[in-house]
Amino acid sequence: MITLPGLPRSARILARGLLVGVLTAAFLAPFYLMLRNSLMDSQGLTAPEWTWWPSTMHFENFTALFDDPSVSMGPALGNSLLIAAITAPVSTLLASAAGYALARIPVPGRGVVLALVVATLMIPGSVTFVPTFVVVGSMGGVNTLWGIIVPGLFNPFAVLLFRNFYLQFPSEIEDAGRIDGLGWLGLYRRIALPSSGAMLASLGALSFIDSWNSFLWPLVIGQDPSAWTAQIALSTFLTSQTINLPGLFAGAVVTITPLVVMFLIAQRYIVEGIATSGLKG
Amino acid sequence: MSARRAELSRRGFLTGSLLVAAGTVLTTACSTDPTGGSASGAKTTLNVWYHAYGEAGTQQAVLRYAKAFTKANPDIAVKVTWVPGDYAGKLNATLLTDSAPDVFEIGDFSERFVRGGQIAALDDVYGSAKSDFNANAISSVTVDGKLYGVKMIDDVIMLYYRKSVLSKAGITPPTTLDGLIAAAKALSTKKNKGLFVGNDGIGDSPSNAVWSNGGDLVTPEGKVAFGSAQALEAITALKGLHDDKSLLLGFTTDWWDPAAFTQGVVPMQWCGLWAMPAVQSALGDDFGVLPWPAFKAGGTPVVRVGGWTSCVNAKGKNVAAAKKFAQWLWVEQSDLQRDFAESYGFHVPPRTSVAASAKKLSTGAAKETVELAAKYGKHNPGTWDTAVSSTFNAAAMKIVGGKGDPAALLADAVKKAQREIDKQLGR
Amino acid sequence: MNSATDTTVQPEPAGRPAVTPRGAARTGRSGPGRPRVGRSGWIAFVLLTAPMLIGLGIFKYVAIGWSFLLSLSDARGTISLGHWVGLDNYQTLLSDQTFRDSLLNILLFTAFIVPVTFAASFGLALLVHRIRRGRALLRTTFLIPTAVSYVAASLLWKMCLFNGLPTGIANMIGGWFGAEPVPWLQSTSPPLYWIVLVTLRLWLQVGFYMVLFLAGLQAIPKELYEAAALDGASGRRLLTGITLPMLRNTSVAVLMLLFIAAFQAFDEFYNLFNSGLSGTGTAPVQTPLVHLYNTAMGSQNYGLGSAGAFVLTALIVGVTLIQGRFTGFGRSGE
Repeated sequence: MITLPGLPRSARILARGLLVGVLTAAFLAPFYLMLRNSLMDSQGLTAPEWTWWPSTMHFENFTALFDDPSVSMGPALGNSLLIAAITAPVSTLLASAAGYALARIPVPGRGVVLALVVATLMIPGSVTFVPTFVVVGSMGGVNTLWGIIVPGLFNPFAVLLFRNFYLQFPSEIEDAGRIDGLGWLGLYRRIALPSSGAMLASLGALSFIDSWNSFLWPLVIGQDPSAWTAQIALSTFLTSQTINLPGLFAGAVVTITPLVVMFLIAQRYIVEGIATSGLKG
Repeated sequence: MSARRAELSRRGFLTGSLLVAAGTVLTTACSTDPTGGSASGAKTTLNVWYHAYGEAGTQQAVLRYAKAFTKANPDIAVKVTWVPGDYAGKLNATLLTDSAPDVFEIGDFSERFVRGGQIAALDDVYGSAKSDFNANAISSVTVDGKLYGVKMIDDVIMLYYRKSVLSKAGITPPTTLDGLIAAAKALSTKKNKGLFVGNDGIGDSPSNAVWSNGGDLVTPEGKVAFGSAQALEAITALKGLHDDKSLLLGFTTDWWDPAAFTQGVVPMQWCGLWAMPAVQSALGDDFGVLPWPAFKAGGTPVVRVGGWTSCVNAKGKNVAAAKKFAQWLWVEQSDLQRDFAESYGFHVPPRTSVAASAKKLSTGAAKETVELAAKYGKHNPGTWDTAVSSTFNAAAMKIVGGKGDPAALLADAVKKAQREIDKQLGR
Repeated sequence: MNSATDTTVQPEPAGRPAVTPRGAARTGRSGPGRPRVGRSGWIAFVLLTAPMLIGLGIFKYVAIGWSFLLSLSDARGTISLGHWVGLDNYQTLLSDQTFRDSLLNILLFTAFIVPVTFAASFGLALLVHRIRRGRALLRTTFLIPTAVSYVAASLLWKMCLFNGLPTGIANMIGGWFGAEPVPWLQSTSPPLYWIVLVTLRLWLQVGFYMVLFLAGLQAIPKELYEAAALDGASGRRLLTGITLPMLRNTSVAVLMLLFIAAFQAFDEFYNLFNSGLSGTGTAPVQTPLVHLYNTAMGSQNYGLGSAGAFVLTALIVGVTLIQGRFTGFGRSGE
């Protein structure tokens, strides 16, 4: 459908250009709608006549999100930021450490350890939210931020990716380090870790996104408004008794913006992260 | 060379995230809990939960009551938690934990809380005021002879209709289900639908239908009764509304919010007395109230009476203080009860003396509604918890959607609901 | 966008080892001159792996063990053990029509979403791959919805694109062609909600899989195409003769990921169909996870919820193993 044999070259280019145009519009339209709706007032939003852009922009929809004490969007955004900013580096570093040990330190029995890690890969995280709730609940983690963060810090898949990465690591560099008197921990800290920058950034970026956007687990564990993440706050307002539509869209814009900005800045790492984690084979 | 570049980016990445984390810790630490009404020097802090009432001013009122309580009892501070969204789900999950509220309200009192030892008996808080509560307010919270909650408000749920729209179409307010179906159909235009009962298309209508044909949901002894022939007949008849496509579906808010009615999207809506101030300010006198019509001529019309009950967490750390709060606000402070019942959304105070003194409820459509409730009011049974009601509603949903044999669907739901109730009652 | 293009043309080392794990494992193990691990090696190994192992131990192994015991107990409103009921919970669950329906729903959903996403992301990857000018920009356009959460997307789909009013975007566009406004999420015959569900997920995740296919496409040596072109092959022949076979591993990975993601569907089903006080009880379609959420969190029946978690896990592990067998079979034939 993309190659159209039998057509003149110019027609093919035109057709492809048209396709690209339509697709671009379709992919960007939701962003436009969200922004437009967040700047309208309620009457304009439910009016039967279509308006492309509000004649007067209602920025107060945004300030209301943070001024109104009954809408806990501000604290929820803070929670989300804190959770993602802890989860991303910590989970990546833990995985890198374990991956390094499994790849480079030839202690007997590490195969068993690896098997124990890999076995957990078979069980998708969200399906076992009830078991995890049972454990975290018994440890007093309900309605706490640590209850949301801690279970998400252990990513067996990332361990596997890091292990594969360190397996490929040229041993000459390590040998040089060993001559300089570095032990195993020193080799990891001084040599392996500094060369894993791209990998850490890629997986860290993905982990940040996942953590920011995750819904089911924070919903299960963070029922009290003090522990709401941005996603839970948004979902709560979406299913609320009364709905202030423009405010709702303003809330959506606010929760999306940080990640969109991050996508635009760190796109290289995100693309790498996707390619790496998707193609583990 | 790549190693050096990578090191830089790793450092940048780590420093960046640490900065963000530090910044967030600071900001979250600085933003204090906005809902707190605590006073300094208090020995205990009660955590009190309310679902998010939709009417403007309610939250402020509740905070004001909390402050007044602390003023009268300086050693007890009150932290009010206002919970929008899935209140029952959030409450259930939190009750298992240390951050469980000390005092909380529940809509449609369910015996499950008592059986699970979750809520404390409150016989001692009533005192002499017990006889002032209306009969249902007492009977609905009584389990095995003990009172397990204080009814805060009665909510009356009925049909609103636009007088001008109906008269313009030459339609008289319907008094039978067939009449309602016909009216909804006649009022549906190319742009607008005739009736709104809920975004799922059923709302309360299945239970209304059962009652309006002389049926029952669950007997007081805990036997499921919605499998009766009358129930089946009435629920199946609701299919007419769906077949005619005269129901509004997929509105932005659900039936408990009057927006669809006040914005002129539908001329008839199932909604509550609480919405009447909003309806009045939007439509003036151009509306009327009706009970859910009788299934057939000579049958019983239905008005649902729900409401919210204040309960005390029996497993909490501050049971005595919590009882004191419930007693102070919902038994003693008749002025505040009246304020809560008529200043924001309209509710009926369960204390007859307070209800009698509520001026706004004794005129016009509000008065009419209160009278309808006295005449046709129906309450969900105490065993009607989420597991039971969702079983019933899911079956009704399939029946009105024409998915499967109605009798078989209902019989299956009866079996499942009976099992749930048996477990609930420990049999 | 300069940095972005350079990564796609030349996959970074970060991506490389993951692509060839089997060979890598062999070189790692048989590396000559490996120093003996002494006490220090053990200490380092334990220090580096302990946090991960303890975490996985508690949140996976202990959780699953405990939950298995819970699934054999009557645990209502409690997560402590003690009230044993044998296989009662499993029996209740499997005889429950709503749970069986939810399994059927998820199979239907998977059958819809997996091929559609697969085809769409592959098509987009081909398109982006062929375009020379503005490639990075186009890729960003398709990828950026990945930044949006299911909650925010559900909000837009429910309240703006597919609401039941004549002013909803879908109904408005339908209106230009004379169609009557329809309640998209509530229409059960025909089940229009599938359109809402599928378009939402497609928009959110198609860019992600496109990136996977792009990486695969870029790994195909150019010489292969040149040689085939010399033999006179063109267009479709190149696609079926070279591109598709060379993307075999990528395709398998994408299918696997899509399958697992579809089976765990929860967020959009919850947010599109939940309406405040009444929950998702009357939603026209429920997924197994929504059912489990209602059972465990709504009705506080943790025993039944645990049993459900096990049935689901068994299903996913089963399918993963079956698919792994097929792909393993394919690999040995390479």
